[in-house]
Amino acid sequence: MSVPVYREADEKAPPVLQAQGLVREYGSVIAVDEIDLSLARGEFLTIFGPNGAGKTSLLALLAGALRPSRGQVWLRGEPLDFGEVEWRRRIGVLSHQGFLYGHLSAEENLRFYGQLFGLSDVDNVVRDKLQHLGLQERATSLVRDLSHGMRQRLALARTLLHDPDIVLLDEPYTGLDPSAALVLQGVLSDLRDGRRTVVMVTHNLSEGVALATSVAIMNRGRFVWQGKRAELEGDFGQFYHTVIEGHG
Amino acid sequence: MRNYLKQIGTILWKDLLVEFRTRERLITMGAFVVLVAILFNYATDWVRVSPEDIASGLVWMTIMFAGLLGVGRTFHLEAEDGAFQGILLSPVPKDAIFLAKALANFVFLYIVALLVVAVFMFFFGLEVSRNFGMLAIVIGLGVLAFVALGTLFTAVSTGTRMGDTLLPVLIFPLLAPVVIYGTGATSQFLAGRPLTEAEGSIKMLAAIALMAFFLGSLLFRFVVED
Amino acid sequence: MSSKKILLAGTVLAMIGLVWLGAVYWMSFFWVSTEVTQGIAQRIMYVHVPAAWTSFLAFGLAALFSAVYLWLRDERLDRAAVSAAEGGMVFATIMLITGPLWGKIAWGTYWTWEPRLTLTLLLWFIFLGYFLVRSSTENPERGKRHAAVVAIIGALDIPFIHLSVIWFRSLHPEPVVIKAEGPTLPGDMLTTLLMSFGAFTVLFLGLFLLRYSFENLRSELDTRSRHASV
Repeated sequence: MSVPVYREADEKAPPVLQAQGLVREYGSVIAVDEIDLSLARGEFLTIFGPNGAGKTSLLALLAGALRPSRGQVWLRGEPLDFGEVEWRRRIGVLSHQGFLYGHLSAEENLRFYGQLFGLSDVDNVVRDKLQHLGLQERATSLVRDLSHGMRQRLALARTLLHDPDIVLLDEPYTGLDPSAALVLQGVLSDLRDGRRTVVMVTHNLSEGVALATSVAIMNRGRFVWQGKRAELEGDFGQFYHTVIEGHG
Repeated sequence: MRNYLKQIGTILWKDLLVEFRTRERLITMGAFVVLVAILFNYATDWVRVSPEDIASGLVWMTIMFAGLLGVGRTFHLEAEDGAFQGILLSPVPKDAIFLAKALANFVFLYIVALLVVAVFMFFFGLEVSRNFGMLAIVIGLGVLAFVALGTLFTAVSTGTRMGDTLLPVLIFPLLAPVVIYGTGATSQFLAGRPLTEAEGSIKMLAAIALMAFFLGSLLFRFVVED
Repeated sequence: MSSKKILLAGTVLAMIGLVWLGAVYWMSFFWVSTEVTQGIAQRIMYVHVPAAWTSFLAFGLAALFSAVYLWLRDERLDRAAVSAAEGGMVFATIMLITGPLWGKIAWGTYWTWEPRLTLTLLLWFIFLGYFLVRSSTENPERGKRHAAVVAIIGALDIPFIHLSVIWFRSLHPEPVVIKAEGPTLPGDMLTTLLMSFGAFTVLFLGLFLLRYSFENLRSELDTRSRHASV
């Protein structure tokens, strides 16, 4: 195992989430090509990019759902060990799929995941989360009977159920009606409590920038632009298109 | 260890609960078993053969094919909303996931296997009461071996373009010993022979089941990782 | 060893194997004495039995390479496994074709549930599964892993298959007692058989190395064309 190299010398604590030289190939297709990133506690990184840029693969690599072909991911300076499972308690993943069982109720789904994560007080945690996301009235409905927005909220509750300090979100806004988007917006703002590190992939430029502390633009497996949100000036939409076309 | 067993129990319970609500697999497997028995009736010349002569073979082949039908669906339920990914991302060791899925399959297939025996008893007047306990054990061991190999290789075949059609090619050659010892012991029981004669077969079946579970828990992680 | 040396070693071994095999053919046709009861067809044994041995060796190697591949994840081990498995398929096919030919002439029946014949047939299918899994998986890396699992389980199931097919035969005695080699093989027959074992083994090793270096070249080509396209 190689020793993590810290980019910022002034930071004593190792970054919460770090990746270096991350590459993922599918046969001869390169989905993620030499990605480096380093995120401290409280950072919120939003990744933009066209479809097929490798954003979802990158998120899967950071989540430990995919093994890198080359490169390495570190959590608080510890390299990801795929033979271990404990570090998975610290990560919450919202994919574009909900990971929910249609034939189980909202409550049963959450309880199932709560037990898998070995939560000590599953019943209370589940009740709190359902309430927090405004799902308490639909707690006993089967997931297949819930609307898309409801399911998305439930998936978000599932993601945050075990209070992870690293949250990875893949297109959380997809298919949401305005009111569901508003709930989501509130929950995502709450994630910026300084305790957590968030990486979000989205097409939603305005919301994505509003929440972010750092922004990256990804194209063809690489970060073509990366920086703090404070560095961004003017119309981000225009900036985004310029960057993407510059690397088209 | 307690946590490990609890995680297995959680996944197993979830599978049983979902099956209880949908009844998809039990209904299809059960219907398959009865329909096969009906077809066997017309496919066999009962003037020339008596049920006892071929029953053990038919029982085992019916269990195998019904098992293929049921075990092949192990991960369909999980694939629906990517839920299997959710399990893989949770802090559950991969061997615990394997054991839970295999045990859930065992529950379904064992129920169906006992139904097979009942159907043959009902349709063909098969006499099983003499050694029913031993028969249940032999079939149980065979089903254990089947679900261990079946669960592992369903995970393999689900990841291919060929899907479930690949499953029999992968597991039938491996199951030859199960069929050989299983039918051997079963026909001895049906013939009312002393139990000691089947002892060797039962031990072999137990050894195969144990080995299959061991290898399955060991190798499952290489199948589901990405 | 560099890939050029492997290619050279493979070529040399395959050539030696082929010449040696020619000598074995000459011996089995013109030199060795004809077996009394089975007549001329018994000479098939000099191909059949060594082919069986070679296929077992090859499948065993394929399983071994697969296991180490899962452990170390070195692509070369996967290439070695697939090369060995392919050799195993070839020699198992030879065994499965010559067996019934011999059986039909010597005993009047194409197929007997002779334990080793049955075992080879089942192995053939297990490794058919190995190749189907490899070729029908979208993600080649996953295909390699899954195929390795098939090979390992297949190899470890061999003792059970072997015991069970022997046990099955003891339950149902065959009409004809088959003793391929016979306990007392005359000297010239034994010599020819041992020569054939040698020829098949060397030929397999040669083909294995050739196939392996071919796989190496192919992956190198893949890498180069990928870099060219980037």
